[in-house]
This record gives sequence, structure tokens and C-alpha cells, in this order.
Amino acid sequence: MKTLFTLALATLIPAMSFAAGGGAAPVEQDWSFKGITPDWDKEQLLRGYTVATQVCMSCHSFKYISHRNLMKAKFTEADVKALAADMDLGINDKLISQLTAEDAKAVYGKSIPDLSLMNKARGNGADYVFALLTGYEDGVPAKYAHDFENGLPDGGYFNHAFPGHVIAMPQPLNDDQVEYRDGTSATVEQMAKDVTYFMQWTAEPELLARKKLGVYIMLYLFIFTALAYALKRQIWKDVH
Amino acid sequence: MSKSNTQKAIEWFDYRLPIFSFMKHSAVEYPTPKNLSYMWNFGSLAGIALVLQILTGIFLAMHYKPDVNLAFDSIQHIMRDVNSGWLIRNMHMVGASFFFIVVYIHMARGMYYGSYKGPREVLWWMGVIIFFLMMATAFMGYVLPWGQMSFWGATVITNLLSVIPFVGEHVVIWLWGGYSVGDATLNRFFSLHYLLPFVIFAVVFLHLWALHTHKSNNPVGIDLKKDTDFIPFHPYYTIKDIFGLGVYLIPFTFMVCYAPEYLGHPDNYIPADPMVTPAHIVPEWYFLPFYAILRAVPDKLFGVIAMVAAIAILFVLPWLDSSKVRSARFRPLFRPLLILFFANMFVLGWVGAKPPEGIYITIGRLATFYHFAFFLILPLVGMFEKPKPVPKSL
Ligand code: HEC
Ligand code: HEM
Repeated sequence: MKTLFTLALATLIPAMSFAAGGGAAPVEQDWSFKGITPDWDKEQLLRGYTVATQVCMSCHSFKYISHRNLMKAKFTEADVKALAADMDLGINDKLISQLTAEDAKAVYGKSIPDLSLMNKARGNGADYVFALLTGYEDGVPAKYAHDFENGLPDGGYFNHAFPGHVIAMPQPLNDDQVEYRDGTSATVEQMAKDVTYFMQWTAEPELLARKKLGVYIMLYLFIFTALAYALKRQIWKDVH
Repeated sequence: MSKSNTQKAIEWFDYRLPIFSFMKHSAVEYPTPKNLSYMWNFGSLAGIALVLQILTGIFLAMHYKPDVNLAFDSIQHIMRDVNSGWLIRNMHMVGASFFFIVVYIHMARGMYYGSYKGPREVLWWMGVIIFFLMMATAFMGYVLPWGQMSFWGATVITNLLSVIPFVGEHVVIWLWGGYSVGDATLNRFFSLHYLLPFVIFAVVFLHLWALHTHKSNNPVGIDLKKDTDFIPFHPYYTIKDIFGLGVYLIPFTFMVCYAPEYLGHPDNYIPADPMVTPAHIVPEWYFLPFYAILRAVPDKLFGVIAMVAAIAILFVLPWLDSSKVRSARFRPLFRPLLILFFANMFVLGWVGAKPPEGIYITIGRLATFYHFAFFLILPLVGMFEKPKPVPKSL
């Protein structure tokens, strides 16, 4: 029964995970938030915020996010007030795009998803979003030519990561599209990385608290369980 | 030595309502076989998992809004604004999966050691009823966040009832409270999702009542006669269960804090949209084996019947199994067939997660066949099997 049990566990765990299908599995990036005790990098968050608000927000909203929320990620009240003022927003206003849902539908033929939760709403999360943002091609690459004998449909752009490869979002990032406050050079790759990082925070603002709490509870439980085991041995020593 | 005031007060109360004697009788002195393995920890773990679901659920319900326009946002409100809301929600989410893992092991233990055999048939029935109730509860709970999988899972599963001859369509509309899964459906699912765990709690009470009437079975599977075969529940099994709880909480905490979404589906973070069907509609992992059986049968009506029968057949398991020997340890034919049955469950679960096409259909059908064949050949197994010698006592 014991061996049976280990065997069952060993098959159960991989069997239970299933990646959501679609395009090819994106390349795994090494994100700093992946570790056991990560910390938000304020500089990178600010760069990501810059891309998100100056580029993505012309089409997408972050409807669960206000500037005040950034105060839980190392930004001071003065920081967020200044940032909000730059956008003519109060610090409690949600980050809502000027583009209305109807206009979006009319222009792009698709509804434009909110980005707050995007990193949790796609298989492979951040890796997928990064691959999507850096996965554009001008026209159809030769390898896929036979799938698109009549070229790309109107209003469609080729993207390696997007399921089906035709996406209605025009390539949002081009070199030097934003000017970073910290002087980092704004390559497509850099901006994609930063905005995806920012989106991880918008999707899981509790991420740090969660992982930090985990360390304490796990430590406590290891000690608790070891003591319980010792006590169990002690109590049972005369049972044969 | 004179009695303390507390003691007197307890006796006064106990004389009128013997709750203290009852506790002492059924949780302290309660005689328990001394040879139980760790497989017997899963009953108490299931109890704790149930209580944890109820507690976390009550707190979630304080902030959740069962309205199609508000439900999805109210979950985000819990995750972002409610103090420790993310913790409560992750515990409830991971807790549901862990509850099923625990109960599946608990059931497998019962099958392996023949615990369903007389005089524990009614105890076993209560278990099967609990299992059905758990599935209903979990199914309705998954609808509440009102994501894409919530909506489409609910649509696919409730639609199954439309196969009922003559009245099917009406039953489905009645269940939905409208002409599709919508606001009325969400409201009633919330109401029932809150109610059913308490019904489960009541059935668990009956389950334990039946258990305490004839005491636990044991790994050797024989009736224990001597007093020396038993030890009092406290402190022996209290400490063993506490240790077991610690072992359980470690992976549980790990999932809650480091991989809360691992067992979930990313599509459920997309708000429900009746106009957009997801590429693959998959139920939660714990339903996958039965989902596979549903899809293995080409006819819709018989598919639904097969799916329900796949579990309901457990009700008659005590009578299908004709062997007098309980524990699989001493059953050279039953044991490999049962292990294959467990392995087959994993195959079914795997097929259930795949699209119903090509080779998966064939594998799904073979596995479905074995699932039922296992039960149906049990009467013969008992007749032809030569059990190994069973010890008379421990
Ligand atoms: C010009 C408007 C526009 C801009 C600017 C824009 N997007 Fe989009 N985005 C869209 C549209 C339209 C879609 C829907 C695409 C579809 O479904 O084919 C979309 C979809 C997406 C998706 C979802 C893809 C999927 O898997 O369904 C992500 C992620 C995304 N955008 C990220 C971004 C990020 C990050 C930025 C800023 C760097 C950005 N977008 C800027 C228009 C835009
Ligand atoms: C809410 C879910 C459940 C709870 C809380 C629960 C609780 C318990 C507890 C505390 C015990 C005694 C300890 C042990 O033997 O592990 C037990 C025994 C048992 N349970 Fe359950 N149970 C649940 C579900 C089920 C299900 C779904 C089944 C089977 C279909 C089942 C079948 C049994 C059997 C046969 C025994 C006696 C085992 C033996 O004596 O060998 N239980 N249960």
C-alpha cells in the first residue's frame, strides 16, 4: 500500500498540470519575481508603468489599478501623487483608457481585453505576454506561407506567440517609443520586459506578501510537524 | 480530595445534557485498533479539510457578490482590497483540490482493505453520498467566480440534463431559472454552494455514528475480539492525527503561497462571456475521470448514465464483492485487479483533460470499459480466488 501510494503521488502531480493550448510554448524568461522571496524592483516597475500608461493605455485599461495601489509596491505618497498628476488623475482613479469598448470594436474588430489580470489569464503568463510583445513579423514568414496563401486578413498582424498567429493588435512597441526617466535605452525587448514585469504586479499585487508569509508558515510547520512526530513516537513506544 | 468548582459545574451540566460523557466516550476512550496504518489518517484529515472549507467560505461570502455584473470584480476585490483576502481565497481554492485528494485516498483505502464489507455497508453508503454532495458543491463553487471556465463548465454540465427523456429541456430551464446560464443560475448556485457543506457535515455525523458502532476496520481486515487489540483514541490517535495534519499542511501551504493557480485554469481569469466559447472546456481535475467516461460513450443519454453509474456502482460494491476476506493483502487476484483499477483512474483523468479526438477516444473507451468490468467481475473473483492464509488475530 505504501509503494502504491508513492507511485500514485508521482503520477498525480504531473498529470494534474495542463498548459492551456494555442501557439508554441513561449521561451521561459528568468523573471525576478519567480523566486521564493522576491522583491519588487521599483525602477523596473516605474519603467513598466511608463510603457503601460504611455503606450498600452491608448487602447487597454488597467481597471483594477489606481495610483494609490503603487504605494504597496515601494512608491511613496509623493511619488504616486506626482505620477497621477502627470496623467491628470487623482490617486484613487482607476487606470481607464480613453478608447471606449464600442470604438475599439469598430476600429479593431475585436474587443480589447483589460490588462490588469492578463498575466494570470493566459497559460505561461508573463512568458507568453513577453513572447507576444516581441513576437511580431512584418508580413508572413516563409515557414508559415502555406497557411496564408492569400496573405494576412485585413486588420490582422503576424505574431509568433498568438494562437493562430493573426492578431488584431498592431505591433505596440517600437524602439525608443518612450523616454525612460532613468535613462535606460528603450529597445523593444527592454520595454516588453518592463511592461510585462509591471503587469505581473498588476495581476498579483499580493505576490510578495504571499511568498513571504509562505516562508514563515512553512518554517513553523516543519518544526511543528517534527515535534508532533517526536511526541507520537514517544506516546506509541509501548504499543506493539 | 474534594471536587473543584469547575468539575462540579461540568457534572451538573453533564447530568442534564451528557455532552461531556459523549465526547469522552467517542473521542477519548473510544477503542481503536492498534494496528491502523497512516492510511487511516485520511478520515480525520477529510474532516479538517471540510471545516477549513466552511470557515474560509464563510469569510469569502462576506465579500462575494452573486450577481453576473459584480461576481468577477468582487473576487478581485477580495484578492486586492480585503485584508488577507488573497490568503482566504487561495486557501479555499487549494483547499477544494486537497479535499478531493484526501477523500480519493480515503476511498481507495476503503476499497483496498475491504472496509465497505459488512457490517460497514451503511458507513460506506454515507461515504458515497458525501462524495456525490462534494462533487455538487465543488461544481457550483467553481461557477461563482464567473470566469470563462465557470460559465462554460456550468453550461456544458447543466446541459447534460437535457438528455433526460421527455422532460429534459424543462428540467434544464427550471435549473437555470431562465433560458441560459445567467444571473438566476448564479444566485441559486451560490445559495446551494453555501448550504451543501452543512448537509455534508450532517452526513459526516451519520458516517461517524456508523463507524463508532462497529469501530474501524484495520489493515489485516479481520474482526478484532481481544481488548488488547484496541488502544484508546486519545492520546494514541489524537497525536497521530495531529502529526498527519502537519504533514498535510506543508504541501497545502506550499500551494497556497507559491502555486495557488497551479491546479486552476487561466481562462477563469477572463470574465464570463456567453459570446466567446473557449478553445477547450475542461472541468476541474477532480472531475476529469468521470468527464472522460461521459465522453467515451457515443450516445449522449447513455454517456450521462455511464458517468453517474461509474460512481453510483459504489453503492452496491459490498454485494458485488463476494469474497469473505476483507483486506487485499490476502487476495492474490483482487489486489492486482484493484491496483489496475486505481491506475485506470489516472488514465481516465488524463484522457478527460485531452480533446475528444483520435487515439484519446479509443483509450478513453478502453479505460471506461475496465472501470465497469472491474466491478462486474468482482462476484467471480471472489468465487475463484484462493485467498492467502488470514491470521486469526493480530
Ligand atoms: C493600438 C491599440 C493597442 C495598443 C496600443 C496595445 N494593444 Fe494590446 N491589444 C489590442 C487589441 C485590438 C487586442 C485584441 C487582439 C486580438 O484579440 O486579436 C489586444 C490584445 C492584447 C493582449 C491579449 C492577447 C491575447 O492573448 O489574447 C495583450 C497581452 C496585449 N494586448 C498587451 C498589450 C500591451 C502590453 C500593450 C502595451 C505595450 C498593448 N497591448 C498595446 C490593441 C492594442
Ligand atoms: C467529508 C468527507 C469525509 C469525511 C470527513 C470522512 C470522515 C471519516 C473518518 C473521520 C473516518 C475514521 C478514520 C478513518 O478510517 O480514516 C472515516 C472512516 C471511513 N470512511 Fe469516511 N469520510 C469522508 C468521506 C468518505 C467517502 C467519500 C467514503 C467512501 C465512499 C468514505 C468511506 C469510509 C469508510 C469505509 C470508513 C471506515 C474505514 C475503516 O474503518 O477501515 N468516507 N471517515
